[in-house]
Amino acid sequence: MPLWQVVVVLNLTFAVGLGLGYAGWGRRVGALEREVNADRARIERLERERGACARGAKAGEQQWEGRGLVRAVYPRLLVITHEEIRGLLPARTTSFAVPATTSAPRVGDAVRFSLRGTAPDDVAIVAIEGW
Amino acid sequence: MKALLLGAVWIHLASSVLLVGALFLLLLAGPSANATIRRWERSVVDWSRGLVVVAVVAGLVWLVARTAVFENRPGAALEPRAVWRAALDTWPGLVWLGRQGALVVLAALLWARVDVTARRDWIAARAQALGLGGLALGLASAASHAAAIGPGAAWAVAVDVSHVIATGLWVGGLPALALLLHAAGRDDDAQARATALGTARRFSHAALVAVLVLVASGSAGAVAQVGSVAALAGTTHGRLLLAKLTLLIPILALAAVNRTRLLPAAAAPGATRRLATFVTLEALLALAILALAAAMTLTTPARHAEPVWPFPFRLTLDGLDDAARRRVVAASQIGLAAVIALLGASILRRRRVPLLAGAGALVVVAAALGLPPLVVEAYPTTFRRPPVTYHATSIASGMAVYAEHCASCHGADGAGVAGADLRSPSIARRHAGEIFWLVGRGIPERGMPAFESRLAERARWDVINFVRALGAATVATTLGPRIRPDDAWLAAPDFTIAVGPLAPGALRDYRGRRIVLLVVYTLPGSRERMTALARSYELLSVLGVEIVAVPARVTGHPIVELGAAPPVLFPVVTDGTAAIVATYGLFAPGPHAEVLIDRQGYVRAVWRNDASPADTSVVQAEVERLNAEKSPPPFPDDHVH
Repeated sequence: MPLWQVVVVLNLTFAVGLGLGYAGWGRRVGALEREVNADRARIERLERERGACARGAKAGEQQWEGRGLVRAVYPRLLVITHEEIRGLLPARTTSFAVPATTSAPRVGDAVRFSLRGTAPDDVAIVAIEGW
Repeated sequence: MKALLLGAVWIHLASSVLLVGALFLLLLAGPSANATIRRWERSVVDWSRGLVVVAVVAGLVWLVARTAVFENRPGAALEPRAVWRAALDTWPGLVWLGRQGALVVLAALLWARVDVTARRDWIAARAQALGLGGLALGLASAASHAAAIGPGAAWAVAVDVSHVIATGLWVGGLPALALLLHAAGRDDDAQARATALGTARRFSHAALVAVLVLVASGSAGAVAQVGSVAALAGTTHGRLLLAKLTLLIPILALAAVNRTRLLPAAAAPGATRRLATFVTLEALLALAILALAAAMTLTTPARHAEPVWPFPFRLTLDGLDDAARRRVVAASQIGLAAVIALLGASILRRRRVPLLAGAGALVVVAAALGLPPLVVEAYPTTFRRPPVTYHATSIASGMAVYAEHCASCHGADGAGVAGADLRSPSIARRHAGEIFWLVGRGIPERGMPAFESRLAERARWDVINFVRALGAATVATTLGPRIRPDDAWLAAPDFTIAVGPLAPGALRDYRGRRIVLLVVYTLPGSRERMTALARSYELLSVLGVEIVAVPARVTGHPIVELGAAPPVLFPVVTDGTAAIVATYGLFAPGPHAEVLIDRQGYVRAVWRNDASPADTSVVQAEVERLNAEKSPPPFPDDHVH
């Protein structure tokens, strides 16, 4: 085979190898990374569910922990300026339902609280204590 | 170790560049049956074999030296494990592997004595070698300063690749061209000389394109890496660039002489040799430029280094009065006339000398007339960036330092008793770095003492922040309760928003997102207004406003004091209120004051001395006017100037 043909074949091999390498291996790495992230989120959720279950929650419910400052107190509703609640809410001011049995804090109190529920819109405070 | 690294980078860069140029010139000359040309070709290939080995060895030395610098101990250079880590676990190391790989394949190709008698084989072998050399050279950009530019790195790397490849084709081709011309000029062989001159002509065209690419990519790179005159003149990286540009002038002059004078008349043997000498000179200067380029890759990019201004003066357009402005405008017109005369001289063939003389005279007159008003004194720290941001905490500490050390001469309000008026335009025109110099060194002839030994550097910067706030406050008296549409100029000093034990936020967190109504209140006087704000918070919130309340006096727990009914849901700052109250007291004094800060971070409306808005609809109207603004200005700088 003349030299120029060898050169062309080698360059083609190199280009095809690079393309296939990316198509196979590079994309596989991306997919694996996404899978790992999804699994990590699922593990976190399962851990919250297990935590909730250990404290007597119904099946499917999760439990989150938050810290914040009480801004307003209504019957069965607390408005709390809170830090980020991992897996649920960013840092902001949110109103949360509280059961009537819980002793109500006063405006300005710094508190730690536990939330329980299945989704962000049905969570309720199950425990609250001074920070 | 640094010297070893610099030497290795230079030799590696120079050999890679020469390799690419030599292979490029072989391709330009094309296959030839002429004995002289064949001899030249053989010697160029021999040279290339040597160069590729030198490049690989210099690359190895580079990796070893870099490992030592990277690990910060010379011994690491001899530890295989450390070198292995530097090659495999760092980005420059991976790029190095790719480049060395290309060079090794190229070495194999050059050292293998392949049969290139067939024309196609010859072209394939030479083109493949050039491609591999170009790959090895261009890959260097992937680990250059260009690759470190945040967003837009791909574009910066592309610019850098075109810069190094153009360097390779032009600079690297020069020695091989000189050899060819020399060989062709020595032999009395008309055919060889014709081939050599044809190659030189083709190279001349390619070099012109390469130089244009170099100038364009070099300018783009300089804008990205240097960015300002201060950085160009005041940093190592910038000065190396200036030296590079200075060396470029004789090279381009030589190239122009070669292209326009020597090349057209080079058919005679003597003339060919003269051209060869000139090209050799050009190549030697270019190698010196490569040394500077190698040094540049090892220095911090000028944009990120602290510039030390080398001149005792600088030029500025700021703060000119009307008379001075008229003078500058007149001078600029004379300068324009000079440019027109220069253009005329370059186009016209007759009367070139008087036109050039006239242009020169006009330039002198324009400079003499226009430059003096623009000149202001400058110091080494003129372009130093304050290390402390324009933040309420810094301004408040500056205020305390000022009261203790400065107020006796400059007055409590900065108006000047024995010292200068710190709120005057001439102070506003001074860079922060210049005030820093004057505060540190003093002005003995005017009785200003030096504070370098008495105040820590941080305290001096705090005072400068305070002086800037003082100047801003003087101008801010024109701001009232109504915003002026599309007229944002007063940067709001940043402050920390600490609410109870929650993680603290900052005013700048709202930038680009929400308008902030800063309310400094005093109970019980502000009770009624705070109640109204609490009631209308929801409405203002929907309009894009965040209210941040700061108690002017802290006695108990501010949130508890505000009470539970109606509920106050906006942030009430509980910690660090003194700094905010002191700073914003400069702009909006009073037991109760409100400041409307737009989304970009500029103060737009001020209610001072208890003149709080009658009701929410007043604030609402101003907010709606802010929301209707079409072209927001850029965010204000976090540091004073």
